[in-house]
Amino acid sequence: MNLSFFNQFTSPYLLGIPLILLSVLFPTLLFPTPNNRWITNRLSTLQLWLLNLITKQLMIPLNKKGHKWALILTSLMILLLTINLLGLLPYTFTPTTQLSMNMALAFPLWLATLLTGLRNQPTTSLGHLLPEGTPTPLIPALIMIETASLLIRPLALGVRLTANLTAGHLLIQLIST
Amino acid sequence: VLHTTRALHTAQQRLAPLPPLPEKGGEVRYGLIPEEFFQFLYPKTGVTGPYMLGTGLLLYFLSKEIYVINHETVAAACILSVIIYGIKKYGSDVAAFADKLNEEKVAKALSVKNEAIKDLETAIEQEKKEQWRVEGCKYLFDSKRNNVAMLLETNYRERLLTVYNEVKKRLDYQVAMQNLKRQKEQDHMIQWVERNVAQSITPQQQKESIAKCILDLKALSKTAQAAV
Repeated sequence: MNLSFFNQFTSPYLLGIPLILLSVLFPTLLFPTPNNRWITNRLSTLQLWLLNLITKQLMIPLNKKGHKWALILTSLMILLLTINLLGLLPYTFTPTTQLSMNMALAFPLWLATLLTGLRNQPTTSLGHLLPEGTPTPLIPALIMIETASLLIRPLALGVRLTANLTAGHLLIQLIST
Repeated sequence: VLHTTRALHTAQQRLAPLPPLPEKGGEVRYGLIPEEFFQFLYPKTGVTGPYMLGTGLLLYFLSKEIYVINHETVAAACILSVIIYGIKKYGSDVAAFADKLNEEKVAKALSVKNEAIKDLETAIEQEKKEQWRVEGCKYLFDSKRNNVAMLLETNYRERLLTVYNEVKKRLDYQVAMQNLKRQKEQDHMIQWVERNVAQSITPQQQKESIAKCILDLKALSKTAQAAV
């Protein structure tokens, strides 16, 4: 198999069957479902410990109502962590290098946070558009700028992830020749 | 999801108690290949069989260019060496950490049990002490009873004494009254006798007695001079 520099970034196909779903779901195999036992094996214990650590770190600044986001944020974080780390191994495909996947993750989440903020506390969320302590003549301009940054945010986040991972993998390959 | 393993649904499904986890996982050689593979090949090819198989496969892939050496090979070599180095160096520490987490979990539960047992034991000891104290109470009550009896006795004697004293006072009074009365009568009688005697002395008698007295005195004075 002759490899170019970009084989890692092409969506894998085997005999015409797209394997992209398999490569996205593969990390779930590495985290076994916690069973009913009280004392588990070392792998489960370590994973549970890591999960607890991450969740605690994420949820400490939030009040009780914010803890609703714990599940999706922690699971998202663990998924991305595993996918990106696994991509470091040779001959692997990293799904997060595909712009489509990152956009698919970024847009709904960003939109969800925006709409939730607008629905529950409209004044506060609109108030975030203006930073504190701006001089009065600058206010219109600043509001335009903040709105633009808010709307660009999903694009920015998605592209950021894609670009970082692609650059990292390419760098590894370039150095190794 | 509970993983209940039954061989082909032969037995009833048992949800509790869970079967115990095996102590150690499956034996692997070089961290990748299970020991059963080596045992499987041992009867036909002996000890070096699997190694020959591995080397042969590798060389076959390389020579027939089924596996092309490319930039990823170098990357693979570097990454694998780093991973293996990390595992060798920190593997036992991580395992000990995981074991420590489990131990702490178990120890917390055990400590609850042990503390409950200790509390009950101290309660038992205190109960025994209280029972011993109750036995000692008997002596306490005896001495208290003695005390009370003594007090009663003392009180009774005191009151007896007061009664005696009172009675004596009254009797003394009566005796003193009688003495006084007799004394008075005596005095009165003496005075009456004296008065009557003094009244009965006539002047004639008085002169006679005085003259007699003077004669007596003279007679006495004669003898008295001689004595001096």
